[in-house]
Amino acid sequence: MQHPHAELSAYIDGALATAAQAAVERHVAACALCRAHVAELRATVALVHALPDPVPSRRLVPRLATVPAWLAPLRTVMTLASGTAVFLFIASSLVSNITFLASSGAATSAREASRDTTTAFRVDGPAAAQPASTSASGPTSAPSPNAPALARNPTAPPVAQAGDAAPTPDAAKVSERSVVGRSDAPGVAAPQDRGQFAASEPQRSPLLNPLLWLSLAFLCGAIAIALQRRLRRSV
Amino acid sequence: MSAAPESDIELLIERARGGDTRAFEDLARREERALYRHALRIVGTTADAEDVVQDALFSAWRSIASFQGLSFRAWLFRIATNRALDQLRSRKRRPELPLEPPEDDDVTWAEPAAPGPDLSQLAGDREALALVEAALGSLPAEQRTALLLRDVEGFPYEEIAVITSVEIGTVKSRIHRGRLAVRNALIARGWRGPEG
Repeated sequence: MQHPHAELSAYIDGALATAAQAAVERHVAACALCRAHVAELRATVALVHALPDPVPSRRLVPRLATVPAWLAPLRTVMTLASGTAVFLFIASSLVSNITFLASSGAATSAREASRDTTTAFRVDGPAAAQPASTSASGPTSAPSPNAPALARNPTAPPVAQAGDAAPTPDAAKVSERSVVGRSDAPGVAAPQDRGQFAASEPQRSPLLNPLLWLSLAFLCGAIAIALQRRLRRSV
Repeated sequence: MSAAPESDIELLIERARGGDTRAFEDLARREERALYRHALRIVGTTADAEDVVQDALFSAWRSIASFQGLSFRAWLFRIATNRALDQLRSRKRRPELPLEPPEDDDVTWAEPAAPGPDLSQLAGDREALALVEAALGSLPAEQRTALLLRDVEGFPYEEIAVITSVEIGTVKSRIHRGRLAVRNALIARGWRGPEG
């Protein structure tokens, strides 16, 4: 028998037909060269088998189970919402800055005269605008700002009570309305009144608070990014 | 790779075929690492190998209804191997080597130039493994694929024939040529074979 060189790999794998396997085995037993080659091939196989296992840098199994159909639309909505919130953040920042600048001069001159009144407004919360008009009657009315309000605006009793009770959104709205309604009153244009108005502005409407929109923008943005990552993993 | 009993795998396959995504994910996770190392040694770069495996698994899920005949593992390897070879051909990163070298039964056995270390004692030798890796990388892709399916993944010749869509004689020839090339690369570096 000639050297069965080409059969040696199949031989060591036991992949030859029974008769051929036996024939090669007999030859190898008698042939030192083929025995050496068989040993070399076995050693080569062992080396290939011992190659280190590379590890993927990410999960390669697609997430099929947890990708609902609404994930992609939700991501789009969240992206748009984040953009809108950024816009509103900028807009509300501008509005509050402009209001602040326009009134800062007047507020400075009025601050001294109405310090105790202002303190009362801060405690009042959303209804704080209400007593602003009461200061038109002078600093002397400051100790009991609710009484004049009741007297001058009897159609809005909740506003008057809001100074003492916990502020509610309804109270805030009524309060705004009552301020607007009284805007043509003689005392409103007085420097003291404008100063009070500006001081209570950030608390008057939570929707004008830039921080609200900023946090909303971050929140929506984070959700959109998370959804996007999730979607990319799944395809 | 699969430590779970065969019946568990059969159950998972049945559930996956019935549309159970979680069962398919379980099955795929068992082969994820093996598919990756296989794809990596065919395509050569980690990013391509990751893409190949992810695409292959997604494709396997979509065509799970057509799974039959092979073992599930061989079926996954068939899809991944085809993807990897397609990727390799489309990128043409490697020099064009003949996919099917001319048949020559009496392949040359290079002789050692000088006595060197024993091959059988080199499994832990990093240099030898790097040499083996380099030798594998220079093989024609089809030889490399057959060799990896046999010597790393342990598939029988019959399954390798189905995975790579060739006759079993071709599989035999590819495996033998691949091993001989790796052996010759080692011999060329001064190693001698173990006494046999």
